[in-house]
Formats: sequence, C-alpha cells, structure tokens
Amino acid sequence: MKEACAERGPEKQLIQLETPGLSLPRERSFRSFQKQENFLGKFNQGGILLLAFFLFMALFPSLLAPYAPDERFIPYEAPSREHILGTNDIGNDILSELVYGARISMTVGFAAALISTLIGTILGLCAGYFRGALDELLMGFTDVVLIIPKIPLIIVLGAFLRPSIWVLIPVLGFMSWESTARVTRSKTLQLREAGYVKSALCMGFSPSHIMVSDIFPNIVHILLPKFMLATASAMISEASLSFLGLSDISMKSWGSMLSFAFFRGGFIREMWWWYLPPGICITLCVMAIALIGFGLETKGEKYAGEGADKA
Amino acid sequence: MSGIARKIIRYFASFVLITIINFTLPRLMPGDPVKNLIGEDVYVSEYVMEELRTELGLNRPLHEQFTAFLSDLLHLDMGYSYHLHAPVAEILLDRMGWTLLFVGVSVFIGALLGSLLGALAGWKPERKMSRFAGFAFVVCSCTPPYFLALLSLYLFSFKLGLFPSKGFYDAPEIGSVLHHLFLPVCVMSVFSASRNFLVMRGSVIQEKTQLYSLYARAKGLHDTGILFRHIIKNASLPVITLLALDFGFLFSGALFIEIIFSLNGMGTLIYDAIMGKDYPLLQGAFLVIALTVLFANMLADLLYALIDPRVRRPA
Repeated sequence: MKEACAERGPEKQLIQLETPGLSLPRERSFRSFQKQENFLGKFNQGGILLLAFFLFMALFPSLLAPYAPDERFIPYEAPSREHILGTNDIGNDILSELVYGARISMTVGFAAALISTLIGTILGLCAGYFRGALDELLMGFTDVVLIIPKIPLIIVLGAFLRPSIWVLIPVLGFMSWESTARVTRSKTLQLREAGYVKSALCMGFSPSHIMVSDIFPNIVHILLPKFMLATASAMISEASLSFLGLSDISMKSWGSMLSFAFFRGGFIREMWWWYLPPGICITLCVMAIALIGFGLETKGEKYAGEGADKA
Repeated sequence: MSGIARKIIRYFASFVLITIINFTLPRLMPGDPVKNLIGEDVYVSEYVMEELRTELGLNRPLHEQFTAFLSDLLHLDMGYSYHLHAPVAEILLDRMGWTLLFVGVSVFIGALLGSLLGALAGWKPERKMSRFAGFAFVVCSCTPPYFLALLSLYLFSFKLGLFPSKGFYDAPEIGSVLHHLFLPVCVMSVFSASRNFLVMRGSVIQEKTQLYSLYARAKGLHDTGILFRHIIKNASLPVITLLALDFGFLFSGALFIEIIFSLNGMGTLIYDAIMGKDYPLLQGAFLVIALTVLFANMLADLLYALIDPRVRRPA
C-alpha cells in the first residue's frame, strides 16, 4: 500500500508541475536542509509516544519485566498476582517474554530497514546522478527484482540455511529496497539540475563528493519515512517468518511467541493471555512506526526542496 | 513502441532470474547438493546416493546441468518429491487450483470493497466515518495477517461455532465449499481491502485538486456524479498497480492463512515441505508462485497501458 502510494507520488508531482494549478508559487525556493516545523500532528504524537514506549521496553527490559525470560515456573498457568500474564508451556513468565521480545523484534526490524534503505539510496543516487546506461541497468535490475515474490523466496532460503538472526536480517533487508531506490532516483534527477550542483561540478568536485555532500542531505527528508515504513514491513515479515519457525529459535521475538502459542496448544486451551499480547504488541509497534512514517511523508512533501530546480 | 519492448525485456529478465535462482539454490547451499536436491529426511544408502548423483547429473559441468534443468522445466518436470512419493508437478497442480481460487476471489472482493470505500472516504475525508474507516483499515494493515486469521478462527469457529474450522469441504458440493471458505476469504479480503482503501483514498484526494473536477463542479454536476463518472476512472490507476503487487503479497499471505485454517492448498503443502525439508517441492512451489506473480504483473501492466494513454508514449 505504502509503496504504491509513494511511488506514484513524486511522479504525479512532476506531472502536476507542468500543468499550472491553482496553487500559489512557494516563497521558499532555495534550501538545503530545513527542520520541519509543526510535524507533531495528532497521529504523529500518538505514534511517537507509542514508539518511545516500545523503545523503552526494548532498551531497559529489566525495569518492566518481573522475572528473567528464561526462568521456569509451573507451565500453563492462568494470569495471577505473581504472573500477570500467566506462563507458557515450558513455564516462562509471559510478561517477561513479551518485554524481552521487544528487543529482538525491533532490532531485526530496524537493522533490516537500515540495510534496505542503504542499498536503495546508493542505487538510486548512482542511477539518478550518472544516468544513461547505468540508470537503465539499475532500474531494470530494480524492476526485475521487484517482481520476485519475497516471502516465498525467504521461506525457501530459510528452509535451506540454518535459521539464524544473521541470515534473517540481510535477507529481510534485500526485500524492500525497490521503492526507496525509485524515489531516490527521481529526487536525484530533479536535484542534479540545481545551480549549486552545477557550480560544484564546475569547481571540480568528484561525483562522489557531490552526491554525499550536496544531494544526499536534500533527500534525507524522503529517506526517513521510507526507513520507517521499511521497518514496519520488516517487522511484519519477521513476525510471519517466526510463525513458520524460520527465524532464530534462541531469540524469542513476538512472532515466535505467537508461533509457540499456536503450535503448543495455547490456542486450544483458550489461553488468550498467551497469544493476544504479542499480537497486539506487534500491531501497536508497527502502527506507531507506520504512523510516524506516514506523517513524515505527507508533511515532507509540503516542505520539500522542489525549488532546487528553480534556482 | 519502445515502452512495451522494454517491459517485455524486463519480464523476460525476471523470468530468467527466477530460473537461475531456482537452479543455483540447491547447488549453492551448504551441504551436499544431492541432499539438497532430494530432501533431508530421506534415508538412502551410500550406493544409492552415488546413483542419484549421476542420475541428477551432478557430475556433469554446470552449463550441461543448466540445459538439462531448462529442458526438464519445459517438459513440466520439476523433480520428484521423495517425501511424498510423487512427481512435484503433479502435487503442485493438484493443490494450486484451490489456492488460486481462494486468492483470486479475495483479491477481487478486496479490490472492489477497498476501492469503493476508499473513493468515498477520499471524497469527504473530514467526516467521522471516513476517519474511523481510515483508522480501522490502518490497524488492519499493520496486523500480521495470520494474527487476524487466528482471532477470527477463535471467535467465529471455536467460540461461536458458526463456521467449520478446517478443510475445504465436507462434501464436494458448492454449499459446503462456500461455508468453509467464507472465513478465510473474509480475512484475506479485509487485508486486500485495507491496502486498496489507503491507496484509493490518497489517489482520490489528489485527483480532487485537479482542474477537471473543478470544471465538472462548475458545470453543475452533483457530488456522486463527479465522483463516480470522472474521478474514479483516473484515481483507479494506482489501484491497478497495487493489484499486481498485491497478487504476490496475497499469495504469501494466503500461505499463512491456509496453515491456520487447515486448508489443503499450497500453504499447508509448503509448510509440510519446510518441516520435512523436502527441497524439490519447495523449489517447485517457489517457481510456480514466482511465475504466477510474474504473469499477474504482466497482465496488470498491460491493463494499465490500455487504460492510461500517457504510459504508451515513450518517456
């Protein structure tokens, strides 16, 4: 959903600039990097609060969890005063598992999104800056990879390789770089016509220097929401893979908790305290990240540096 | 037209890439390629392993293996699953029909529902209903698909006993099939609808600012007229792109939902293959899924080019 919407976004903007609309010309016509004022809309505030809560849960789990996650008690217990969320099938306290699981889910999400954003940015920058044959090649490559269904590929890979977190993160990272690459490329195409880029070229700076210090800071405001949305989608993919048992078994993420709940009889015994909390946590965390990403994206479009080509 | 030629080249390249991945995967993965090609849980003696090695052609150089692989593929021979004791192609064809039925119906219903609701919500985004629907759909799209399926299975099948909890049918008649498939199709449609809703809503909001809608309003056309006669046609372009992307996404989602609802489609097949490390089946399934998604993308591209003349112009 998000990729398709954002994909059409910048291209639509390009088309709109050609047909004179009813909007007044913007006063800011030349900027390198400007802080967004007023992006704390209502949704954004909620999203940031939620995300802060989950980050807190991930960074300081011992403050929130009553026990260590691998301490064993009586299994299959219902919620009680000592175990607020009961215990699972081998006796671990579910609340502690939940709190410690935040770490794993969010680490995998952020790391995979980092890799994906990095790859997408580099490819998009190169394709947009150098143009010509390289552009065709890279965009063709992007299109080609876009079509391959990722989750079946990850499933097949996961079945072959020993499931570990160091395999999972790169593989998830290779999943969602296409839209980032596309958007980076279109922005770079716009920005490379700007006056300051041309003067840097005249002064003899190398392409890599121009890309890093002139073009890159102007696309950061696009990359941030893409990064957020990539995190959200990576978290959901990780949850799905853990459900199938294809992620690291030594590290219990929320998805693994759900998987254990389903396959170890928590479902049939109507232990809603086992499978509802991780699912709700995944949903809330992904929603917080996605809302922040959406908020940044829509606000960013308004204050974007489109005036660069008017300079 | 160079646009179409370029697209055809891209699709062909995707197809080649998929076959190459399928070919190199078992041979690159750690472990004995013979094991990778026949599956892990199969116990064979050393002598049989050597026989299999020559039969599978692992002694020959790579390009010969690749040509053999391609020719096998063209003969629709995707290997033999030693786990299930049947050729992979047969097993896949058996189960694929059901999965396609279920995914196809969900995509269709979801697209219709999502587009309609999205158009209405985009047209009047300030109303409470639009905001609520938007929020609800955002929540739905952030939930892992199997979680929603789990919840609905629990509520509607266990607790309320309204729907059967497993299988495609009790008796091979259409009423039973509908009864069994109702819940899974509902869940998948909600997913597809939420994605379509968000895209359609954004698209309609953008289209509302265009000049032609202002002109229609100036001519005196009423609300629903503008919406349904003009805006929807232009706003549905991203939805078509989304449909293509969605097909691949929904296929993957369908795998999980099939596992949860115990439907005998490709999802459970793949899951059992993962558990039993039945690699030929997994590779065959991946190939089939990838090709189906490729085909759906091609169709969507064609449809898009038919509907939007701007795309046909060389960029």
